Amino acid sequence: MAKKAVKKAVKKARKVDPVTVEIVRNGVIAVTEEMKTNLMRTAYNMIIYEALDFTTGLFTAEGETVSIGIGLPTFIRGMAETVKAKINHFGLKNMKPGDIYVTNDSYTTGSHLNHFTFTLPIFHKGKLVGFSCCMAHWLDVGGVLGGMTTDIYSEGIQIPILKYQDRGKVNQDLLDIIRINVRLPPRAMGDLRAQVTAVKTGERRFLELLDRYGQQAVMDSIAEIMDRAEAAARARTRTIPDGVYEAESFLDDDGIEIGKRISVKVKVIVKGDEMTIDFTDMAKQVRGFFNSAMTTGYGCAQVAYKCITSPTDYPINDGAFRSLKVIIPPGRIISATRPAPMRWWMTFPMTVIDTVFKALLPAVPDRVIAGHHADLVAPSFHGFNPATSEFFIGTFGPLGGGWGAKKTEDGVSATVCLNDGDTHNGPNEQAEAKYPILVERYELIPDSGGAGRYRGGLGIARTTRALTNVTVNTQSERSACPPWGLDGGGEATGNTVAFRVNSEWKSDFPNAKVLVAQLKPGDAFRISSGGGGGYGGAFERPAEDVAEDVRQGYVSVEAAREKYGVAVNPETFAVDREATDKLRSMR
Amino acid sequence: MPNSKRTRATGGANVRLAADIGGTFTDIAVFDDKTGRLNFGKALSTPQRLVDGISTGVAKAESDYRSANLFLHGSTVAINTILERKGARTALITTDGFRDVYEIGRINRPDAYNLYFQKHVPLIERALRFEIKERVRANGEVLIPLDEAGLIALGDRIAALGMEAVAIMFINCYANPGHEARAKALLQERHPHLFVTASHELSQEYREFERCSTAAANAYIGPKVRRYVGEIDEHIRKDGFSGSFLIVQSTGGLYESEQAQTQCVRMLESGPAAGVIGTQALCRTLGIKNAIAFDMGGTTAKAGVIYKGEPLTTGAALIGGYDKALPVQIAMMDIFEVGTGGGSIARAEDGALRVGPQSAGAEPGPACYGLGGTEPTVTDANLVLGRLGADRFLGGEMTLDVEAAKRALTSVGAPLGMNATQAADGILRIASTAMSYAVKGVTTERGLDAGDFVLVAYGGAGPLHAVAVAREIGIRNVIVPGAPGVFSAFGMLFSDLRYDYVRTHLMSLADAPFGDIESIFQELEKQGRDAIASTSVRPHQVTVKRALDMRYVGQEHPVTVELPLSVFRKQDREAIKQHFDDDHLQRYGTSAPDERAEIVSLRVTVAGLMKKPPQEKIGKGKAAPPKSAFAGKRKVFFDGRFRDAPTYRRAELLAGNRIAGPALIEEHASTTVLTPGDKLTVDAWGNLVIAVAGAK
Repeated sequence: MAKKAVKKAVKKARKVDPVTVEIVRNGVIAVTEEMKTNLMRTAYNMIIYEALDFTTGLFTAEGETVSIGIGLPTFIRGMAETVKAKINHFGLKNMKPGDIYVTNDSYTTGSHLNHFTFTLPIFHKGKLVGFSCCMAHWLDVGGVLGGMTTDIYSEGIQIPILKYQDRGKVNQDLLDIIRINVRLPPRAMGDLRAQVTAVKTGERRFLELLDRYGQQAVMDSIAEIMDRAEAAARARTRTIPDGVYEAESFLDDDGIEIGKRISVKVKVIVKGDEMTIDFTDMAKQVRGFFNSAMTTGYGCAQVAYKCITSPTDYPINDGAFRSLKVIIPPGRIISATRPAPMRWWMTFPMTVIDTVFKALLPAVPDRVIAGHHADLVAPSFHGFNPATSEFFIGTFGPLGGGWGAKKTEDGVSATVCLNDGDTHNGPNEQAEAKYPILVERYELIPDSGGAGRYRGGLGIARTTRALTNVTVNTQSERSACPPWGLDGGGEATGNTVAFRVNSEWKSDFPNAKVLVAQLKPGDAFRISSGGGGGYGGAFERPAEDVAEDVRQGYVSVEAAREKYGVAVNPETFAVDREATDKLRSMR
Repeated sequence: MPNSKRTRATGGANVRLAADIGGTFTDIAVFDDKTGRLNFGKALSTPQRLVDGISTGVAKAESDYRSANLFLHGSTVAINTILERKGARTALITTDGFRDVYEIGRINRPDAYNLYFQKHVPLIERALRFEIKERVRANGEVLIPLDEAGLIALGDRIAALGMEAVAIMFINCYANPGHEARAKALLQERHPHLFVTASHELSQEYREFERCSTAAANAYIGPKVRRYVGEIDEHIRKDGFSGSFLIVQSTGGLYESEQAQTQCVRMLESGPAAGVIGTQALCRTLGIKNAIAFDMGGTTAKAGVIYKGEPLTTGAALIGGYDKALPVQIAMMDIFEVGTGGGSIARAEDGALRVGPQSAGAEPGPACYGLGGTEPTVTDANLVLGRLGADRFLGGEMTLDVEAAKRALTSVGAPLGMNATQAADGILRIASTAMSYAVKGVTTERGLDAGDFVLVAYGGAGPLHAVAVAREIGIRNVIVPGAPGVFSAFGMLFSDLRYDYVRTHLMSLADAPFGDIESIFQELEKQGRDAIASTSVRPHQVTVKRALDMRYVGQEHPVTVELPLSVFRKQDREAIKQHFDDDHLQRYGTSAPDERAEIVSLRVTVAGLMKKPPQEKIGKGKAAPPKSAFAGKRKVFFDGRFRDAPTYRRAELLAGNRIAGPALIEEHASTTVLTPGDKLTVDAWGNLVIAVAGAK
């Protein structure tokens, strides 16, 4: 209570005009956007430059998020926690101009070891005024190549919180250690340079803002922006009816105990202008590499909360999360502890977030969404390229898949999963020019979207032929537990894998996690992403809309009949009224 | 007919007409070689029959078609056809297994937390996207031959469906366009009325979605653009025009109207590009190497760059908002746009003042237009602060309603505790910073220091805000050219014929075969020379520029590196590497001289240089402007208070006149604002050259 009073008093003392606040708001967004552009354009690996698996950000001297340029929505919490960990580690008073800190510690970032995070303390007129920070996914950090891991030590090099640069002097020993531990040192060093450039860009631009508008005015404006974000989030939370909302869903398995379902249980408590998301009943951390750490557990809650309360507000800042409480004990799949394996950390959280939306259906039916394909669907392949005689690790980036329908709109097809935002796939032509593979087909999957008054979006299938000996790993979830519908909407198809070996297709796998599959020239693999769930009863969908879906080939004649109760002429695509009435009256 | 066009116009016709059609106005610039006179005309655009607006404008500029030997044209017809989705019934033919490339796109979701996000909508629906058996590998080798019988049957089916246009995009055709070319020939043979575009004709770069989108856009707008160009051609020839009809491309270069009728997407951004060409012409006259072309109109502010005397171009652009954009992969002027213009609406939101991106457009327009708009805009702010004169808008043709503007501003300011004046001042400050990001987008984000550039301001609203934007970025000098409201039309008079080609050909620099490189370059250059030879004009010189798209091995995004022809003659790999390292360092602040580089694509620009009209000098005066230029004093708000500021009639100013801010210089469709401390000099050609106060 006393604390609140103090805060109020501080707020009163702050004097900022709405114009400066707006200029600073645009300014901090521009800073993190420029960091983002910069990183994207100079990075060496596709996961950064096309898949945008990175996040850039600006933080207060306390480590609170001021603005983040998102590549990766689920990493919404990762950098702030890493900045705070670095502050705790070194202590503010020991941070000096010219320092740059680094870590890839999984239990700090909440994610896998590929996420190298660089942080630069920004000094203005001798005062530490904030941090610029940048996380980016390195293509390889050593560790076991392909296959399953069961602890963090087999996943690659671990860099604790260290100084990459100490008062301007680069830590060469650290670079040497990294170089010898990764498979593609030049790429790793290229990405490292790109990240250092990005945090320096953030520093330079933020200093320009401080010089132009004055330190006090900028700092006050930032505090004001965060307070307003808080007020807006609280106001929108207040529009959600008070109550306790629960839901449960399931994941296929952990890749080790095949077929053993993993329970995802969430409880959401809304009271007044506050929301509590309780993950206490979530499954315990698993043996396979699908765990993520506490930071990501918080991240899941924040992503869900932002989607519901402030989806289009920018900059993304910590003010908007002051009205969110998260309960999560350690040792769960999204709060795993050392030495839990984390290599595919990003998969389970997507289903966790979808489950929060499912829980909130009765509260805010027009703000939630049916289940989506919830997976990167990004197999990787490696081998030796006969053209260059060099080792390669190939990926197309995420495949993209179907998204769930909403109360008033169909789901969107062929779009990147919740973990990723402005993430691009890799063009097929680019992959063919680079790797010894050939893409045979790349297409939408008819009937993959869940049926409903509003239909779920469609998934994608890509068939890739090996032109040399290639080892393939797929790590996809939600095959046996496909994306669900809401309010009577049908479920979609899940993510699946098939292999063609010696001209014979095999697709009867118990899950979509096929590790270390060996292909010879001419063999192929097909990876298919799931659709999105439907919303509302399919029999309520206007027959003309169903017929139009048939005409476009999104829905088959058979599915129109069986799932929607609509008889469509396969030649003219006209609705057979009589037959339709009959079909629809039967249920 | 084509032959008669080849003969150069005779009979003393030596006038160039330039017509720039925008959403609201049609701008005409006329240059008479004989007299050296430059005239302008501005008319309302006539969407029903655009040529009427042109004719009215030409008459206003005191000219006619008969006396012209060159008719230069830029138009929004191509881009509007896409944005308004009013194109032809179009089908797509693509490689078996790939018909959804166009719909899948790049799968990105920029609006990352919005569950109601949207995705691009293809110009061709799925039911009209057809597949055909054929396949070429990335190295150009044919894996599956083209199914010609199937293609013929498909062509008949498409024709029977009543399609007007067809786009063809085959996988890897950049490495071997044979199948695309054959498919197009087969279709056109049987269906000559169909508008057929094959993707390799527009882009021989890899990235199948972007190439598909480019071909689809071209086919989609093709029939309409072809009709449009044909109608204008017919009309002006009927009215006595017997010269060359050339169209401005998005690069700012010209091409023959006949070429525009097949390669329609090349004219998407002709107006904005011509403005940058005008800036380049101005820079040449004034001996300036680096300039920013700053163009502010009713809905957007755009910035382009002249660097070392040449405009910066890019190899691709996105059409429509980023979330739902359709890419086009062709050479274009590198223009950065922000949604801030005179019509941008201000709102109070979450306790903050926000400006744009919503715009009041031309209707209802700003509140002060009195056409029913009630929300305050940037124009209303300018009016209330005295920067615009209520009775002097568009040369007095339109009276502005100050009270309506005040009411609108009061309503937005009240919840923020601001009065109308404070709100107006805040709107302009926010708008200036927002526009400064457009300028930074084309300079600092490309590794250029904006402080080293001169800001050339045009467009109806550019001169109003130029000084504030310049100060925001630390630019020391602003130039407002003559007739800033019709600057794009002016720029067209200085365009050259230009043909751009690109071919993706991946190779490592260390062992790149120079023989192959040379033969590709020569093939592309020959295409360019042939294209120029087939136009109806005779340029006095043909120039060739070569560039390579390069990157470090492992990177994806290449940098386009312009290279002197000598490095190829000498087969100098080290010099090429050095150029690339330097460009990378300049653009991104890092380079890796020890890393290997690779070549992604080869680029060629072939230009046919046209004779440029000389720029006319104006009469000389003293430091003090003549009395006739003084148009009275007005209260104008600067730095927190209203002050008396003199206003001047631009048309009366003489070379050498000096004016110190605060002051306003008014002309027909534009007002230049000088803030306190700014110093203006009228140069020999009548340009307003401003030294910005307080810029570092």
